[in-house]
Amino acid sequence: MANETPSTITDVWKSQPEERIDISLEEMRRKARRFETKVFWRNVREYVACALVVACFGYYASVFHPTLIRVGCGLVIAGALFAAFRLHRTGAVRTVPAELALRTCVGFHRRELERQRDLLRNVWRWYLLPFVPGMLVFLLGLFQFTMQQPHAAGRTSTIVIVFALTAAGCALVFLGVGKSNQWAAHKLQREIDTLNQLEKES
Amino acid sequence: MKTESASASRQDELYQAAAETFSAALERLARGYEADPDRRRDLLQDIHLALWRSLASFDGRCSVRTWVYRVAHNVAASHVTREHRRNSRTLVGLDVLETMPSGEDRELAVDQRHALEKLLELIQRLKSLDRQVILSYLEGLDAASIAEITGISPGNVATKIYRIKNILARWFHEGGGHGK
Repeated sequence: MANETPSTITDVWKSQPEERIDISLEEMRRKARRFETKVFWRNVREYVACALVVACFGYYASVFHPTLIRVGCGLVIAGALFAAFRLHRTGAVRTVPAELALRTCVGFHRRELERQRDLLRNVWRWYLLPFVPGMLVFLLGLFQFTMQQPHAAGRTSTIVIVFALTAAGCALVFLGVGKSNQWAAHKLQREIDTLNQLEKES
Repeated sequence: MKTESASASRQDELYQAAAETFSAALERLARGYEADPDRRRDLLQDIHLALWRSLASFDGRCSVRTWVYRVAHNVAASHVTREHRRNSRTLVGLDVLETMPSGEDRELAVDQRHALEKLLELIQRLKSLDRQVILSYLEGLDAASIAEITGISPGNVATKIYRIKNILARWFHEGGGHGK
């Protein structure tokens, strides 16, 4: 084909010069191992972030003695451990190489979209919500602790405003992340509906 | 232990045979998905790696050809999704290409390189599913095989091919539209 004069665009397509890439089986194995190592270190990074939260709030619990602050720290630590457990669970469910071939292009594309949609929908529930009770109790404890300090007398309104703004800021960030994820999930759902329609016609 | 090594060697054999048969087609497929030569090389390596890994579970429930093309298109489509998030280039469907001006008029046989560049530009603008159909069509696969790879019904594939032929005829002056 390469030596003939192409007369149609399909001939032109097939007569493209080939730039062969030769990957040996040994290199393939090396790449597979490198990929697994990359996934391993990505997971380690996530667990280290969780360990940092645990260490940080564990330290606060040891430094601040008021019960409310300690309960708040305990709840944040519990939230971080729960998020790590969820990461461990979802991290274990990865694309099996054979799925790339056993699913048709439409099926594979839909599954990828569904996976992303579920991740977006659940971020709020699994990775943000577990921290809400802990952060609330912690802030409340910190507020109570600050109010009990001798220099707080006569500055009550300033302290209240600072804490109210901090709480409102946290709430806004949480709501913003939740809303933008819901919106992105909704967009993905529309694409999934189109693919479902296409499969229904098949 | 013995069974494990036997299945590993079967996987290697299957991969070597598939790579030998489809290496040129896979390279053309990668060109349809990625314009940048370096990223295309990475994509092609990813396809080969995914193919080798997937063949450990090959059980003959479909032909090797269908298996190879599904793996390649699925890996490449994921690559396009990732790239799309990075550069947010708008991808279009066949309906948009049908209404687009075809550009300057040149003889196909005279300027192959130009025609190929134009064809690649056209393919790389398409959404995944339409891209999968046009690439399979250019490789000479029939509607039934394309349907098996993509998961769209043969009827839908035939309609898409009809539209693709008309677009190609208009863009590359192949003697007008084609019948179904």
